[in-house]
Amino acid sequence: MAKMELAGEMYEVDENGFLQETEKWNEDVARAYAAKEGVNEVTADHWTVINYLRSYYLENGICPMIRRLIKVTGFNLSQLYELFPNGPANSACKWAGVPKPTGCV
Amino acid sequence: MKRSLKLTDISKDVDTQLIEIDIDKLIPLPPPYDKVEELPGFKQLTEDQRERLVCNLDGVVSTALPKPKNKEEEKKYIEQFVSGLKKLLSRENNWTFLQPLLLSIDYCAQCQTCCDACPIYLASGKNDLYRPTYRSEIFRRLVNKYVKPGGKLRAKLNKGDIELNWTTITRLYELSYRCNLCRRCAQSCPMGVDNGLITRELRKLFSQELGWAPKELHEKGTVLQLEVGSATGLRPHVAKDNFEFLDEDFTEVTGIEVSTPWDKEGADILLIHSAGDIISFPENPIAFSILCNAAQVSWTLSSEIPGYDGINYGVFYDDVQLAKVAIRHAQIAKKLKVKKIVIGECGHQHKAFMTVADRVLTGDLNIPRESVMTFLENIVFSGKIKFDPSKNDFPVTLHDPCNIVRNLGIVEPQRRILRYLCPQFREMTPHGVDNYCCGGGGGLSVMSDVNFTDWKVNVSGRIKFKQVLEAFADQPGPEVKKYLCAPCLNCKLQFRDLFAYYGAREKSSIIFGGLAELIVNAMVILKKPFITWGEY
Repeated sequence: MAKMELAGEMYEVDENGFLQETEKWNEDVARAYAAKEGVNEVTADHWTVINYLRSYYLENGICPMIRRLIKVTGFNLSQLYELFPNGPANSACKWAGVPKPTGCV
Repeated sequence: MKRSLKLTDISKDVDTQLIEIDIDKLIPLPPPYDKVEELPGFKQLTEDQRERLVCNLDGVVSTALPKPKNKEEEKKYIEQFVSGLKKLLSRENNWTFLQPLLLSIDYCAQCQTCCDACPIYLASGKNDLYRPTYRSEIFRRLVNKYVKPGGKLRAKLNKGDIELNWTTITRLYELSYRCNLCRRCAQSCPMGVDNGLITRELRKLFSQELGWAPKELHEKGTVLQLEVGSATGLRPHVAKDNFEFLDEDFTEVTGIEVSTPWDKEGADILLIHSAGDIISFPENPIAFSILCNAAQVSWTLSSEIPGYDGINYGVFYDDVQLAKVAIRHAQIAKKLKVKKIVIGECGHQHKAFMTVADRVLTGDLNIPRESVMTFLENIVFSGKIKFDPSKNDFPVTLHDPCNIVRNLGIVEPQRRILRYLCPQFREMTPHGVDNYCCGGGGGLSVMSDVNFTDWKVNVSGRIKFKQVLEAFADQPGPEVKKYLCAPCLNCKLQFRDLFAYYGAREKSSIIFGGLAELIVNAMVILKKPFITWGEY
């Protein structure tokens, strides 16, 4: 298993850098991921998306559809890409500490 | 001048890579996609990855196999490999595929005709490692050596004896995932040898005997699907909840009432989508809801595990998992007392459920199964829905999913729909049963570990991407909006990776989607276009 240092702690991650132990996530982890992608300030808009992704994942065991994410958060796709450089799946889910979506998605 | 790769090289030089992929040797793409320096590049493995993972093939890792702990572990796997070879060749253990396997082992004339049919070999600039016969001939020699009487002695006397060691089996494992199982090679073979089948038998050996399978196909694939209902992790109530959301959302967007029936006992038809479509490409399943309702079809979806996820990754790597999923799907249909099952826009689901599953669905589980292509054709030409083809007046081309078209021979229904509803429909060259795979076939489109996606977009999907661009060569620029119809979820995932990597949406305004969306887009009753090139 690959390991990655985030905010001074070592975490198990998959080969694409996604956190494997979602329960160990904290806000500093999100900030550390953001910094790795060149985003030095995690704003209230980022948190809206991150918190929604996390709570939806914890409740349903899967990330929400993009369509739902857009409807609930009020950000359209290009705004999401502005906030998260690699997009909702590859950045936002990663920062939120939930696994990379698999299985034909 | 590079040295040509020998078959016996597979067992040599433990930790070194067998070949390097040279981007400049790959077949060229038309402008503006010919400038390698403007593309995201091919990710190299990190030191840490080389330290932890087996990476002795081509600098690409798709299966993320950890390195062995000690020599005993290596030995155990090699013994398992030999026992697996013997099982593949015994009727008792491999009654399903023994006959075609034996024919493919015994009748290869070494003419290499198949090589020129293989999109991976061609795209790679004819790299020996990717010849369909490279993998197969090594497998054949190992079978002859370890399974046939007197084989070991004969192997010693003949030239080209393949030594079986840890390096051999790990390279063969990784190499079995450098094939799309598209079976273009089998189609071109004058003897009927099926190298795609041999590749899949190899994967099966690794999965069923050594417990080696890519996690996207096994642990997070069939295992997850059988446990929670879907390889996406979508549980029954979440699937239904998502559809309720979509019904409402699309009622708003389209201005017509959209609704989706669930678990309706006694309906004529059980429609099985792939759950990935619900999450990633919801326009497709919603288009089906619109069409079925408009054509007054008696239909239902199922929320029973795994009746709302029609995928069956077993067809890519494992007979046991294949049978388990197929039987569950049939049992669900039986319980709902439907007259037939309609298989959604998913290629491997067609192959798994329409043909391969025939061997296990006996008695009253052998419920009639119909392809989405004929199902949609009947809806379109039923006269129950009014269409205005001028709504689809933009360039459209069609991708043929290998499993539906080459492997099942379903060629014309989808074309009759497109000729009727899309005034600017044009074919790719070649197409129909001669098509090229999208590059994601054989389960590859759902595998994205380490740097495998880079290989898929640069090598296995290269010829298909070139074909798509050439189909639109008359209007290549971004000012003309174009639609690639790809009626298969796995193919769409591969196109998503390809288009993102090359920037096809921005540079050429090409989008991709299914067939049902094009049909809905032409419906007179819809006030606004169903297909949009912008974002929602």
